[in-house]
Amino acid sequence: MDPTNAHMTEPQKKAAVFLDALSVPSPGEVFAALNKACRPNWATLVTPATAPVTTERPQLALAVGVLTANGYVAVEAQDGQQVKNVGRELMALAKSLGVSQSLLGRGNSLIEFADNNNWDALADELEATENEVKNTMMGQKDRDLVVLTSAAAWLRGLEVATGVVLSSDSLQGAGVLYQPELARKLATQLDSLPDRMKRGSLVPAVKRTMETTASLLETQDTKTDTQRKNYTKIHDDCSAVVKAILSSSMKAPSTIPSPLPGPTPSKS
Amino acid sequence: MAEDALPSLLKVVKPISMEPRRLALETAGAFENDGFRIRDGEWSGTLSKGAPLFLQVTLFAGENYWFVAASPTTGAMLYVTVYDASGKPIKSDLWHNTVNAEGTRSATGVAPTQSGKYFIGVESMRGPTEGTLDFSLVYCYK
Repeated sequence: MDPTNAHMTEPQKKAAVFLDALSVPSPGEVFAALNKACRPNWATLVTPATAPVTTERPQLALAVGVLTANGYVAVEAQDGQQVKNVGRELMALAKSLGVSQSLLGRGNSLIEFADNNNWDALADELEATENEVKNTMMGQKDRDLVVLTSAAAWLRGLEVATGVVLSSDSLQGAGVLYQPELARKLATQLDSLPDRMKRGSLVPAVKRTMETTASLLETQDTKTDTQRKNYTKIHDDCSAVVKAILSSSMKAPSTIPSPLPGPTPSKS
Repeated sequence: MAEDALPSLLKVVKPISMEPRRLALETAGAFENDGFRIRDGEWSGTLSKGAPLFLQVTLFAGENYWFVAASPTTGAMLYVTVYDASGKPIKSDLWHNTVNAEGTRSATGVAPTQSGKYFIGVESMRGPTEGTLDFSLVYCYK
């Protein structure tokens, strides 16, 4: 019998493995899909790479995710200096987290590839660097920090992607944003974090943003106006939480979404 | 007493085999030459004959993907199948290595028309020996 003809059963779907390293698309994968759907002007999307000054491990882990995504933006923009800046900040974050032992070589590779304009190798090295940080966290029994890094990288990628889609009158590339199940899964993982990880305002803000995003992506309204309002809300919420993650204080901005999600008018 | 304990200790500290991953990456390398980018991650596990295992992934419309599974056991038949969110198999290209090649390698290529959740199933249908089969799966995209 050829198993490729059989449908999955509900128990099989429920038992499917969710692996951080493969089940969550890397920002580079999202951006590659975006490149096919439309032609983003990546140079305008590059932002300065500045890690927050903090000793809070949850914030450091979130910042690893955001900066990695920023690195992919710099690779797409072919901005070698910015990739090097991201690499340097990632190394500093890894040191603060106590997971830098095996990363020195990665940092050197990022610099070498950036100097040689080897963009494909840089994208691979960024993903490998992020995974090495996560693997070291896992080795140190810090599985919860890995959840935060993945969530932050995904939210920053979504912020960039929604910004690109919203810049088009016809919402070109909107298909790339359709990841409601993944948003819900990440929201569930954030909800399952131990209470000690949710102290302060930042991690609860990330969790609320993920829940709001999941609810908005699950909305099946195909009207362009409604979609634009929803994507604007997602973009603004992601921007606010990314700004908070990179802020050197643990204060969450006042624009963080309320627990009850709902579309808001476009700010145009 | 120490000697008695040694065999079980050796069993406990037996290193995880990297061979399935090596074979999977070697196979995926062929797609890399065709412009595909390999994700830096793997799914590894142990298959029992006729009992498939599944992985959840997110795929994007317009992208091309190859999912590559490999096992060091030569002659085992590995199937890799891609299912949509409802659990229905989607149209795909299939590739299997030749019978006399090193290990068993299998790959499935898809080009989804819709972004969202998908499942990857890996199954062993027959093998040179009864029992279990170690495998590794990697994927690449373009």
